[in-house]
Amino acid sequence: MTQDPVGEPPALGPGRVLRLSRQGGLAHFPGLARPRCVHCARCSEAQLSELQSLLLALSGIPDREAGNDRRRFCVALVDEGGEVLWSQVVAEESAPQALLAWWRRAEIAPLKKKTDGQA
Amino acid sequence: MSVSNSPAARPFLPPYLLERVANGGSPRLRECARHTLLVDSRFRARAGAVTLPPGSQRRGEPARYVHSAEQQQVLPGKLVRREGQGDSGDPAIDEAYHGLGATYRLFWEVYRRHSLDDQGMALLATVHYGKEYENAFWDGKQMVFGDGDGELFNRFTIAADIIAHELTHGVIQHEAALEYAYQAGALNESLSDVFGSLVKQRQREQRVEEADWLIGEGLFTERVAGRALRSMAEPGTAYDDPLLGSDPQPGHMDDLVETREDNGGVHINSGIPNRAFHLAAMALGGHAWERAGWVWYDTLVDQRLARNSDFATFAGLTRDNAARRFGASSEVVEAVREAWRTVGVLP
Repeated sequence: MTQDPVGEPPALGPGRVLRLSRQGGLAHFPGLARPRCVHCARCSEAQLSELQSLLLALSGIPDREAGNDRRRFCVALVDEGGEVLWSQVVAEESAPQALLAWWRRAEIAPLKKKTDGQA
Repeated sequence: MSVSNSPAARPFLPPYLLERVANGGSPRLRECARHTLLVDSRFRARAGAVTLPPGSQRRGEPARYVHSAEQQQVLPGKLVRREGQGDSGDPAIDEAYHGLGATYRLFWEVYRRHSLDDQGMALLATVHYGKEYENAFWDGKQMVFGDGDGELFNRFTIAADIIAHELTHGVIQHEAALEYAYQAGALNESLSDVFGSLVKQRQREQRVEEADWLIGEGLFTERVAGRALRSMAEPGTAYDDPLLGSDPQPGHMDDLVETREDNGGVHINSGIPNRAFHLAAMALGGHAWERAGWVWYDTLVDQRLARNSDFATFAGLTRDNAARRFGASSEVVEAVREAWRTVGVLP
């Protein structure tokens, strides 16, 4: 269920936002699955460099592993208009810990009033 | 945003999720992250990498193995309790052991199934997986349980139906091997909930009207506005919480959720077949595992149940299996048919 477009990630830069979301698990919690945002404009050069390396490292990581109720990380790079420039889904057990650390401290998008399962 | 440490940058972050380490921009954290990235592959659990220990040669007797990951993300971890050994005093270890036993007993004593593969396969569980890990999963060979974060979630062994849920994924894997996406995936999830609930009800010797039909009761801490992960009787009503959001499960085909998230909504749309089972069981009365349970079990092991089956296919097979086991003109057939009609799967 990898979303398009895929391929090599575009360069990070001002105006672009990295959206990170954790999905799956034993239940679907719309609140916990909400995307979290890293605004490139607010990152230092070193941080952007680290993020760019992380994105490059995601290619080749399986989007899922065997079994059920596992969690997955969805990573999407969007432009100012909200268009998805690049996206990738990776199995949580295979995702770099550094990516999980970014997800933990990223800003959470506002909650929709009533979920339709598409948080 | 995220990488800034200013107070204004944190209004959307719930306290329990606040990053516990230093500012993301600090050299220390960056170095830490780089180091973690490097060693990642050495410590992460790999899918199905475990070699299973010996199973049980004697039908009617399980072969249980409970391991502890000791807060690491390693599988299977250290063996801490095996078949026949007494309680350890560690709740997670003992709950896992007894949950495996209760699940084995339902499948053996009611449906004469000898473990997940009907060949005595070892029942392997790992507890204390990861640090504050808020999930439980089936990895293709074994069950894995986190301790929860203590803020939203308690330890995941606390609910016997969750242990049975994960084990039932193993049974499904050895039978229809339903694809884990969209309606087939929702059937996979629903079957795990059905037999998870049956294990709990049988443990408590409950009749259908006495059961709560909740999945994962006890998993939430007191801070959460919710009763459980899911309600089979009333999908969509299990929780409504500021952090978790509201329970997105539908109970009727008119409300089927089309989404790419959650593997195509496997934990969302499972509410529909869950409710169908509840309705059939309630109509029949008595113990749910005796008649409704048999119909669902017969369908789970039915060779006609394909990997990509949808709700309608599954519903048709349950109706057929009800007729085979209980007679074409039996009340079981009528109860099953009416249940699927009520949720909008059958016309």
